[in-house]
Amino acid sequence: MKRYVLGRLIRSIISVCFVLSITIVMVYTMIPREKIFQTDTSLGKYKGDALVNYKYNIWKDLGYLDFVQPSGICAVSENYNSCVNGGADFKDLVADYETRGYTYVPYENGVTGFVTRDYPAYELIWNFFSNLIEVDNPWAVQDAENEELQRSYYITTGSNGMPAVACSGCKHKYQLYIDSNFPFIHQNVISLDFGLSYPTFNGLETMDVINDGQGQVVQIEQTFPSGVTQRSALNQYTCEYKQTSTLDHLDTQKFTDNYANCKNYMESPSMVGTSYLFGIIALIIAYVIALPAGVTMARHKDRWQDKLGIVYVNFMIAVPSLAFIYFAKWIGRLFQMPEKFPELGFGDVKSYILPLIILALLSTSSLIIWMRRYMIDQSNSDYVKFARAKGLSEKEIFNKHILKNAIIPIVNGIPQSVILCISGSVITESVFAIPGMGKMLPDSIKALNNRMVITLTFIFTALAVISLLVGDLLMTVVDPRIQLTAKKGGK
Amino acid sequence: MEDNKNNIILSAKDVVVKFKVRERTLTAIRRVSFDFPEGKVVAIVGESGSGKSVFTKTFTGMLDINGRIDSGEILFEGQDLAKFKTEKEWLTIRGKKIATVFQDPMTSLNPVRTIGYQIAEVIIKHQGKSKEEAKKEAISLMERVGIYDAERRYDEYPFQYSGGMRQRIVIAIALACHPKILICDEPTTALDVTIQAQIIHLIKDLSKEYGFTTIYITHDLGVVANVADIVAVMYGGQIIEYGNVEEIFYNPKHPYTWGLLSSLPQLGEKGHELFAIRGTPPSLFEEIKGDAFAPRSDYAMKIDFEEEPPFFKVSDTHFAKTWLLDPRAPKVDPPETIQNLHEKMVAITAKGGIYGER
Repeated sequence: MKRYVLGRLIRSIISVCFVLSITIVMVYTMIPREKIFQTDTSLGKYKGDALVNYKYNIWKDLGYLDFVQPSGICAVSENYNSCVNGGADFKDLVADYETRGYTYVPYENGVTGFVTRDYPAYELIWNFFSNLIEVDNPWAVQDAENEELQRSYYITTGSNGMPAVACSGCKHKYQLYIDSNFPFIHQNVISLDFGLSYPTFNGLETMDVINDGQGQVVQIEQTFPSGVTQRSALNQYTCEYKQTSTLDHLDTQKFTDNYANCKNYMESPSMVGTSYLFGIIALIIAYVIALPAGVTMARHKDRWQDKLGIVYVNFMIAVPSLAFIYFAKWIGRLFQMPEKFPELGFGDVKSYILPLIILALLSTSSLIIWMRRYMIDQSNSDYVKFARAKGLSEKEIFNKHILKNAIIPIVNGIPQSVILCISGSVITESVFAIPGMGKMLPDSIKALNNRMVITLTFIFTALAVISLLVGDLLMTVVDPRIQLTAKKGGK
Repeated sequence: MEDNKNNIILSAKDVVVKFKVRERTLTAIRRVSFDFPEGKVVAIVGESGSGKSVFTKTFTGMLDINGRIDSGEILFEGQDLAKFKTEKEWLTIRGKKIATVFQDPMTSLNPVRTIGYQIAEVIIKHQGKSKEEAKKEAISLMERVGIYDAERRYDEYPFQYSGGMRQRIVIAIALACHPKILICDEPTTALDVTIQAQIIHLIKDLSKEYGFTTIYITHDLGVVANVADIVAVMYGGQIIEYGNVEEIFYNPKHPYTWGLLSSLPQLGEKGHELFAIRGTPPSLFEEIKGDAFAPRSDYAMKIDFEEEPPFFKVSDTHFAKTWLLDPRAPKVDPPETIQNLHEKMVAITAKGGIYGER
């Protein structure tokens, strides 16, 4: 079992990496790179060589190519000033770059130029994966002005009074901490670095875009390490090291150490959080409706309950989901439900009702039909005939024998639905303008936000693969016949 | 035992069973009357589609949803089972007084429930015992049907059992409520030959110990010869001949029984084709006129196509439904293959097999 899970995990990681590699190569080599500037408004500020430099700098940041300006080329020159003006050994240094595969591009001023080199596919992939996983450690911070910086882990009490593992010398102060948010225990040791988002959400890391809270900052009363108690929006658990040269008096007033670069508490949950909130509640509603409905239909096959259910399922399958959403919205209007989510926002229950009902109902039809089908399949099997011959009543046969068999394939799908809630639902979120994950992928594709596309691809594939594994593990719990073994040719 | 000889435990009178199949009506059982004597082993034989399974299903109300008892009576313990309508009524009989063992043990048990659960469930349900008592009784039943280390195997699942062991469990479940009648619907068809013999012996031993009446449904005449006291031959939805096992095997009267016995593969001679009854069974969608077997019979007379024969008495226990027994009919001898059947069978199976063990 352990060997099997390990094997599955390794295979999962390999397949995720494979998918990511393909995505990276596609995104970086097949989309014209000029197009990423389409929506960049700051492009108009530059002209001539400055524009060229700006573009190449962005391409460099996004990992398309390596780009060295004259100042970089001349950094090794003994005669720097003359070098950057095209004199002295500038030509020799450029020639040196050219032997390493770089191309020389002259500036419009005709005096100097820059060298650049496109990364081939394997280098693109290597660069991505070598920077992907970031492990925080006590030697992560380099600060020349703070040479007495201790480098060690220690146990302390966090701002909410709960114990926490903190670190001096790490990028994050708190490495492990507990708070009231799901999943309650959080870590800052390992983080994934997908790079910066561009052109939308410019300057933010892609992971922060989808993970950080949204809306207005929220101030809460809290005590800082210096003993000061005040209303502040800073979330102390997110604090990162700040270079001594950048510390100001507001920082030193609150903090006794250099960990003063904190994120704010936000009023609304993050994109992931929003989608997950909607997804999970809708999922629960869907299962609560669909499973009993499917069971009832199977038990009363060909009677009115069944026929009514089939009418419903047919309706839900036949009507396009967009049409259904607008139909439900129209009904909701009769009950004074808000048209768009932001009208009343996160604070009002009314904002949630319509989207939740729609999300739930949209997924009921297939659940109902599968549940009914599995139940009926099982009720025609021999063991049911024998159970009947044993003298069990129909109710007992259904509850004790058929249900347990029919639920097995359903159970297999549950982790998938739960985990994939994170990805949100594109149509419903768009119609209601819900700030969730659903719109992120189509939006970032449209905006040519390559880093974001790659981030989302990673998240979705990783979740899909993990949920399949969890589903299979869950199967072993409900079905005694299934044992996961790493044996050759095993089940 | 002698006193029980004429005690009838279950009596079917003029039972007619009809099925509705795609807007057409099929008459699967046509006025069948039969008395099952208490404590005996009755074998019902016949080819596929002759109605043998359907007939016994009427005793437990297990007909498929499109089938119904059209007319007739099934008397059991003073009740007419043919009048039963609700599930509640059937629950007083099914599993409790009349139990059934099905053909395929591989699929008869719920794959995701433990063996112990499936046995104890019946004991709790029908005998109203507590969980612990039921477990105790289930384990002793498992031991009784020949499961070693029953206590440990109580919590195992069907997939951990072999086919023969599963059939033993199925039998244990059927016996869990000490039924009066055990219907074995081809209990050994899905098992290999060595296991077949074991299961047949087990049922035989248990029937003596628990004193239940056994009804075997089979087309394996080897099994019949081995276990049955009384044999009823069914064809086209009717019993066409019945009698003690010796009478049916050594003095069969109906041409269909002759054909059935001649088809025994053991009687085939090397180099000759095996005997097979020609033609196909009659369509039960249409009304059958005369003797249902007449179109396939080598001995059919004109009257066989016109009028249904009554039962002619051969001996006190042996009756056959064929015009050949009418005094006016010409005298015919059964085919040569099945004359002196006993001697032939003994000679053939002398090296082994289940026939000679009786």
